[in-house]
Amino acid sequence: MKTSAVFSALVSLLSLASAASSDSNSKSKSSSTSTFTPPQVFKNANLVHVVSVEKNYVKENINVLVENIDKAAQDEYFLPFTADQMSRLGGVEVKDRKDSSAGLFVAEVVEFDQESDIQYLRIRLPKALAPGAQQTLGISYYLLKAYKPLPASIKQEELQYLTYSFSAYLPSAYTTTKQKTEVKFPSGTIPDYTKLPGSGDIQEFPLKQGSKLTYGPFGEKPAGAIEPVTVRFEFNKPVTHVSLLERDIEVSHWGGNVAFEERYTLHHRGANLSSLFNRVKWQQATYYQPTTFALKEMKFPLRVGSEDPYYTDVIGNVSTSRFRSNKREALLEIKPRYPVFGGWKYPFTIGWNSDAKNFLRKTVSGGFVLNVPFLEGPKQPEGVEYEQVQVRVVLPEGAENVKYHTSIPTQSITEGGVEIHRTFLDTIGRTALVIKARNLVDDFRDRELVITYDYPLMAALRKPLIVFGSAVAVFVAAWAVGNLELKFDARKK
Amino acid sequence: MSADPLQVLASAGKGESTRGLLRVIILLLIAAAAIASRLFSVIRFESIIHEFDPWFNFRATKYLVANGFYNFWDWFDDRTWHPLGRVTGGTLYPGLMVTSGIIYHALRALTIPVDIRNICVLLAPACSGLTAVATYLLTNEMTPSPSAGLLAALFMGIAPGYISRSVAGSYDNEAIAIFLLVFTFYLWIKALKQGSMLWGALCALFYGYMVASWGGYAFITCLLPLHAFVLICMGRYSTRLYVSYTTWYALGTLASMQIPFVGFLPVKTSEHMPALGIFGFLQLLAFLDYVRAAMPSRQFQTFLWMFAGGTFGLSLLGLVLATSAGVIAPWGGRFYSLWDTSYAKIHIPIIASVSEHQPTAWPAFFFDLNMLIWLFPVGVYLCFQELADEHVFIVVYAVFGSYFAGVMVRLMLTLTPVVCVAAAIAVSTLLDTYLRAKLPKPEEIQAAEASEGKKGAKSGLKSTSKPVVGVYAIWGKSMMVSALAVYLLIFVLHCTWVTSNAYSSPSVVLASRLPDGSQHIIDDYREAYQWLRQNTREDAKIMSWWDYGYQIGGMADRPTLVDNNTWNNTHIATVGKAMSSSEEVSYPIMRQHEVDYVLVVFGGLLGYSGDDINKFLWMVRIAEGIWPEEISERSFFTPRGEYRVDGEATEAMKNSLMYKMSYYNYNNLFPPGKAMDRMRNSLLPEVGPTLSTLDEAFTSENWIIRIYKVKDLDNLGRDHTSAAAFDRGHKKAKKASKKRGPRRLRVD
Repeated sequence: MKTSAVFSALVSLLSLASAASSDSNSKSKSSSTSTFTPPQVFKNANLVHVVSVEKNYVKENINVLVENIDKAAQDEYFLPFTADQMSRLGGVEVKDRKDSSAGLFVAEVVEFDQESDIQYLRIRLPKALAPGAQQTLGISYYLLKAYKPLPASIKQEELQYLTYSFSAYLPSAYTTTKQKTEVKFPSGTIPDYTKLPGSGDIQEFPLKQGSKLTYGPFGEKPAGAIEPVTVRFEFNKPVTHVSLLERDIEVSHWGGNVAFEERYTLHHRGANLSSLFNRVKWQQATYYQPTTFALKEMKFPLRVGSEDPYYTDVIGNVSTSRFRSNKREALLEIKPRYPVFGGWKYPFTIGWNSDAKNFLRKTVSGGFVLNVPFLEGPKQPEGVEYEQVQVRVVLPEGAENVKYHTSIPTQSITEGGVEIHRTFLDTIGRTALVIKARNLVDDFRDRELVITYDYPLMAALRKPLIVFGSAVAVFVAAWAVGNLELKFDARKK
Repeated sequence: MSADPLQVLASAGKGESTRGLLRVIILLLIAAAAIASRLFSVIRFESIIHEFDPWFNFRATKYLVANGFYNFWDWFDDRTWHPLGRVTGGTLYPGLMVTSGIIYHALRALTIPVDIRNICVLLAPACSGLTAVATYLLTNEMTPSPSAGLLAALFMGIAPGYISRSVAGSYDNEAIAIFLLVFTFYLWIKALKQGSMLWGALCALFYGYMVASWGGYAFITCLLPLHAFVLICMGRYSTRLYVSYTTWYALGTLASMQIPFVGFLPVKTSEHMPALGIFGFLQLLAFLDYVRAAMPSRQFQTFLWMFAGGTFGLSLLGLVLATSAGVIAPWGGRFYSLWDTSYAKIHIPIIASVSEHQPTAWPAFFFDLNMLIWLFPVGVYLCFQELADEHVFIVVYAVFGSYFAGVMVRLMLTLTPVVCVAAAIAVSTLLDTYLRAKLPKPEEIQAAEASEGKKGAKSGLKSTSKPVVGVYAIWGKSMMVSALAVYLLIFVLHCTWVTSNAYSSPSVVLASRLPDGSQHIIDDYREAYQWLRQNTREDAKIMSWWDYGYQIGGMADRPTLVDNNTWNNTHIATVGKAMSSSEEVSYPIMRQHEVDYVLVVFGGLLGYSGDDINKFLWMVRIAEGIWPEEISERSFFTPRGEYRVDGEATEAMKNSLMYKMSYYNYNNLFPPGKAMDRMRNSLLPEVGPTLSTLDEAFTSENWIIRIYKVKDLDNLGRDHTSAAAFDRGHKKAKKASKKRGPRRLRVD
């Protein structure tokens, strides 16, 4: 702690000096509130920023060629975000574009200064970059709750438009020599977007090609330069937002069964209704206007072999669901009780069972390996975003030595630990592994969660022995009580 | 032991202990059958709470489980009867909820965490199993034949009259109350027969439990004194009666006064006076008994007359004075309607508006009891034959119960146990007579004839003698037995059919059949309630007719104005007035009560009969009861006396809020001029009603539930009618501009 504080103080001094010497002509604003700026040891030689607003969350890809301009080898690359963005940021994955065998780099949130609005993501390069050397980084991440509907409330039969604001220059901690930003849209209908003066032979940015806008290429920009732009595009699909997904996976060795239950708190973040819901129009619209921004149906492709699904909400079973199961697929199609419009909410629960042999394996050393998907949400063409995800894997009573590994980006995982869950006929309670994650999207469905644990034979026999023992105890007690003579006048023979 | 297995099998059932074991097994099977036959709705639909009242009980149980007993006891519910609220803890019978709560916590302690909803859903079937056992015990007190008890248990287990109130999901007070009723009667008979204080105290304990569970406890409170009174009148006063009755009365009354809702009613209201009166009477009798033993008989005669007359006069005077002074409350409205079935219709429409308070139609007896209804008199007759103290009880119960069952549909429930007991006595007597395999030996017959001759000579009355009559012909026996067996089988079929078709619908969920025969579930209620729950403010007040109050509280979790606990007639009449008046009158009422949403049930699209237009006249009547000069039932009928909703509906009807909310926007579903109300089979006017103070907020898939949002005051200070007219694009009426006069330049 101490060293880092000293370090940050030093760095802030440096940054003040560099800010003073930087080009004051630039119209870009550099954040002055920040007391920490990463050491200027890198330069972004070339940068392509791809913003995808095709789904109801934003996916951003940054492909950047970084060059070490310091005299020493460097292994920490910083990426700045505002505090607001940071709270909505998830699924960060960094890799080497040129060398896919290098695997994913470690990317973690580093909050150097509580008071600063700018916070940094620190990317650790696996091998320190020698002075003057270059490396191509591919950084991808997701931003949730990114859009605002405009107009904010529309009629039931109108089209929904969303806006997204971002910076045409990537806000980088380093000087960027050359960059461009591409924006991908779900359709070519983009009624409004910010126009910027062009450079070189291009008159005006952006360039529009089909459902794509391109800002840039831009020339050299200093660290922290931003250029706010806003795009408004047609998105006549539900903006599905799951504020909390609780996913319970219960493993039963005796039953040979793995039970899944998922509780969704689902919101629609799109445009609200300007006049209240009208059933007549809704019924008419189902005939001649099939697309709507209301959420009508969700499809859950479950693992093959899933069975006995249920779909309930707080007042009971919801009858509007269909389950198709055969050798190739197990598709659960559910309809909310009512069409979910913008600003509406619909919490529900689904669950199903599956044979344990689909997920559970015994290792040679006697332990068990459970391999389940971390996330199995609905698969919707417009995507689904999850703000909070809590996965709880309930292992049998007496399971120990629990270890887990997941291919979900580590930046999204906030907590993971083992706790005790008490339920049917437990004496010491079952071992439950609880993993909390945040800001995930449906791109990560089917990422796996691998859990290894030991389950000794005595633990497996505990339950039947205890049930048997207590039954015997009850009979003995009944017999003992029955033998007591309670009456005052003992019968004389 | 080298016995032949066949012999062992044949000898089984002969020994006393084997018989006992068999009896226990049969009883268990009967209990299982009773439970199983109540599960139709769970299997067909789901584990769901049914109808209306159970939703409140369920909500209260959840509150109890979540907040503990003392908070439950002191529960003031501000989410009902807005803005009055309800002292729920003090105005309910807590027995049902506490029972479920205890089961819930007991199962938790045994590490079997069962959802409270499932406990509530399955409580009624579980109790019906216990009722079958209690009926067995009660019947065994009546007759030495063990088969009668088993038959009674079987009848009780599957009789539709009881099933109607105890299917899975029907989580109502009656669910446990009938078990308690039968078991209290059993304990009373036991106490009376033995003159035992222990059994009397047990009887009082279960009586206290019964009081805590159901308002129908008054049935016991009146029946036991009546039994005692009849016994005294028959000259059967005994110390047994004295001990058992006084023990029961003293302890039972104290126990019942522990329930806040009952409180001092047992010493204040007329319903409880018979029990008190008989208690006093028994003391007098005991005193006289003592005096008689100490006095010569002639003096005693005078003493008796003076004493009896004096006491009677004094107590009558005291009663009249106390009643007129208001210390003892006169009989409640529901009680009056028990004596005069048209009383409620005239004086208290709110009681009459409940279908289960209607007098029973004759077919209902056969529907609910099938063959038991004609076996019942036979059983009572057989009781007359023996007429010990316990048989007098059956006779008294039969008379009392039959009367009340005839007056009110729901009291069929209290009649069912005695019908089952009496019918079981009848059937078992028949079976015992005709199934006796042994032929009497000639010398026995001779001996019997000889004794008959002797007796006949003595008394000279043939009817008083008891000739040994036996049926010896095999064909006669087999005919009779097989006929009975067929009747019993038909009874089982009938019970299953009635249970499956009449009593197993949750009524929250409606089932229909698709053309291909598959079941289609119409789930509009829950669709709308879920919408309310998720997409309105936590404290949005919902106005609806009181029938839906409990459901809204339970499923939508929103405050309501009125609900099924109809304690405040004026408040209900206010809602009735808002529903049956025009918008100009209703809007201020709704604003005053801070109503945010109005919910109506409309069955016109689906042909659903339980909708609000069909209940509308009750709203009008109840409102008329309070505001006779503003609401008049007559104005909702056409001059020819018809209740119509089509083009010829009266102005009052067309302008009423209920009519407008039901049919608003409805004609847009149909081609012009073809809008059809499928429930009432009438063609609606081409132009639908317009609403200016309400906005349509939600309509469920099949239009059963329609929810309207009450508009806020107009931003420009206009009244809503003109604002709505302006929005529709109508020009302002010219009259208004004329009034204003010519335009003038404003000079400051």
